[in-house]
Amino acid sequence: MAEVKVKAQPPDADPVEIENRIIELCHQFPHGITDQVIQNEMPHIEAQQRAMAINRLLSMGQLDLLRSNTGLLYRIKESQNTGKMKGSDNQEKLVYQIIEDAGNKGIWSRDIRYKSNLPLTEINKILKNLESKKLIKAVKSVAASKKKVYMLYNLQPDRSVTGGAWYSDQDFESEFVEVLNQQCFKFLQSKAETARESKQNPMIQRNSSFASSHEVWKYICELGISKVELSMEDIETILNTLIYDGKVEMTIIAAKEGTVGSVDGHMKLYRAVSPIIQPTGLVRAPCGLCPVFDDCHEGGEISPSNCIYMTEWLEF
Amino acid sequence: MTQAEIKLCSLLLQEHFGEIVDKIGTHLIRTGSQPLRAIVHDTGTSLDQVKKALCVLIQHNLVTYQIHKRGVVEYEAHCSRILRILRYPRYIYTAKTLYSDTGELIVEELLLNGKMTMSAVVKKVADRLTETMEDGKTMDYSEVSSTFCRLADTHFVQRCPLVPDPPESADAQPPPPAPTLSINEKDMYLVPKLNLVGKGKRRRSSDDDAAGEPRPKRPKQTAESKEPIPDDGIYWQADLDRFHQHFRDQSIVSAVANRMDQTSSEIVRTMLRMSEITTSSCAPFTQPLSSNEIFRSLPVGYNISKQVLDQYLTLLADDPLEFVGKSGDSGGGMYVINLHKALASLAMATLESIVQERFGSRCARIFRLVLRKKHLEQKQVEDFAMIPAKEAKDMLYKLLSENLISLQEIPKTPDHAPSRTFYLYTVNSLSAARMLLRRCYKSIANLIERRQFETKENKRLLEKSQRVEAILASMQATGAEEAQLQEIEEMITAPERQQLEGLKRNVNKLDASEIQVDETIFVLESYTESTMKRA
Repeated sequence: MAEVKVKAQPPDADPVEIENRIIELCHQFPHGITDQVIQNEMPHIEAQQRAMAINRLLSMGQLDLLRSNTGLLYRIKESQNTGKMKGSDNQEKLVYQIIEDAGNKGIWSRDIRYKSNLPLTEINKILKNLESKKLIKAVKSVAASKKKVYMLYNLQPDRSVTGGAWYSDQDFESEFVEVLNQQCFKFLQSKAETARESKQNPMIQRNSSFASSHEVWKYICELGISKVELSMEDIETILNTLIYDGKVEMTIIAAKEGTVGSVDGHMKLYRAVSPIIQPTGLVRAPCGLCPVFDDCHEGGEISPSNCIYMTEWLEF
Repeated sequence: MTQAEIKLCSLLLQEHFGEIVDKIGTHLIRTGSQPLRAIVHDTGTSLDQVKKALCVLIQHNLVTYQIHKRGVVEYEAHCSRILRILRYPRYIYTAKTLYSDTGELIVEELLLNGKMTMSAVVKKVADRLTETMEDGKTMDYSEVSSTFCRLADTHFVQRCPLVPDPPESADAQPPPPAPTLSINEKDMYLVPKLNLVGKGKRRRSSDDDAAGEPRPKRPKQTAESKEPIPDDGIYWQADLDRFHQHFRDQSIVSAVANRMDQTSSEIVRTMLRMSEITTSSCAPFTQPLSSNEIFRSLPVGYNISKQVLDQYLTLLADDPLEFVGKSGDSGGGMYVINLHKALASLAMATLESIVQERFGSRCARIFRLVLRKKHLEQKQVEDFAMIPAKEAKDMLYKLLSENLISLQEIPKTPDHAPSRTFYLYTVNSLSAARMLLRRCYKSIANLIERRQFETKENKRLLEKSQRVEAILASMQATGAEEAQLQEIEEMITAPERQQLEGLKRNVNKLDASEIQVDETIFVLESYTESTMKRA
């Protein structure tokens, strides 16, 4: 008797069952599972059925395919995302994934094109699509005002893109910086004044005229003139501008790790100073500030004899 | 010699010595060393006049001569020495602060006459001082000579090089066409032992009891003065380098006083005073001084304890200014003053001040930033200075067009494509200092020209007022009445008087301004010299 070998389907050979088992396995190993693991779990399923089940899961967007050193990994995708991507085709998903990978620095449209190898027109269409679905947004970079970087809708742009505390809406806030500048300088000046008046021995006098960056930071925070939260590095950049104005000098001392305000074992101290010379002689004469200095010679249109700046200056 | 320097020298020579000397001097500056015949030929003046002009210039140390090969004597003008004429008021003022009126007049006489013998100086100064004193008092020669000796001891005046005694050789060599002058280092400040006895003589125009007698004696006196003066041949001149050293010390002390406090500046002044004689004027560091020595040499009024002095010295050595450095630990700590660094800081502060006054404090911020960080990209400048990008760009380009900042290109690719090159902004301090120096020279030339113009404009008025003054003086001498004097004074009307007042004020202002610009010149010149010597 011809026995028709009916391939008895084992009870869980049902495709849906396979998929569910795979999903369960993925939940068990959130970092991802390799093909080997699935094989070990369900040894009686043939490779073909396995591959079909995995493909179905991938196309449904429930699994993520990743490559690792050992081979391919399958990872469960977060369930919320699966809802969004319904109705989008693969290209959009690809672009979305690239943008997501860029994190909060965002990615430029040309870079998206390189990574996805899609033509420009397609990219633009997809980006418009995603934007209308409110999945991504465009943020103008502060460095190059024409450049737009794309990032996920709900992410906060990184400091390097928006410029940090000094920029509000792509505009550099000069008055804010000026105000902070003056406040810091006043604080350091008054500290130096009190130190000078204390008239103790010179070492103590000098040491008490110093203020660490941490002290200045606390003072500015307490003043409350800034609506944005300022970090110690921000205050240090402001203090650096005061150094470049020649009003303040800085020294670095070694400090114990635990002391307040120390960074990597050293502290920066700032002190208000006065300039070492008075405004120099050349600028007290009109010639020092004259804008047409190079055109001036005796007998010409502009000469010392008929110089109007000199006439005005002599009348003071 | 830049055009600006030559113009300024020409103006100075003309103002102080006249047209002919100006012509000869300017010609020598322009053409370098020239023999006598060439000068006569090129300038078109007679031999006699050229000789006289050269005499004047040599007497004032503005021109030197040298024997070249084949026995030709060539004359060379020193442009830098001519520019020192601007600084004469400052030298005289320094002598006044250090040695009071006597010192002031001695230095003034020496500067105005170039070279003089000690006895001549003493006599003249005594006469001048006697005139200003009250009736009946006279200035003793000994006081003046003692001040002179003190000036020589502190090296403010020095002997001029002499003709060495001809060697007693058998073969009678023909005398060289021009004497070679030399002086021994030791003899430079040696005051000859003179027995100057006498008192200053007043120049009397009115009859006096004593005057009646000297009048017939006067011709005899002039005959007496023909007898050989004891120190004939020993001429003295003012040592300008020493004065420069003094100015440099002054500016360092005031810089320390501005940055720290009065006591620190006094300590630095003491250290500089101790190194006055021991350190040459162009050394980058003073000799190391131990803290014990400094303590002993502090001025008497300052009673600070040794520990406090040590604390101050440590503070000075640690200061970011880096004027004072610690060079060892013997003797309680050896300290040196870093002269080159001090001059560089002063010059940089001058540059920064000029940028600040000309372009504003934000430009000054950018300038200081690039000065400190040496090389910066455009983006970095904006970030560090916290100035919006547009404004920062504008200011950088303005500074660039004035040549205070320069660009350094660093290409990434061999073809120097602009999009693939780094452009770094940097400040070349030496060239910026030189450029500003040239500007100072031109400014002073402008100020002098304006002053001459103002005087020329009002020449008529000035002459009139001089005439009126002469009439007044002569009438007063002959004993005129009050009413007559009044009448003569009214010859100058009120608006004219105002005009004269205004003129005087303007001329004074321009003069003062010249001296101020000269201060800038001093700082920048010292810096360039010190840097060139180190390089």
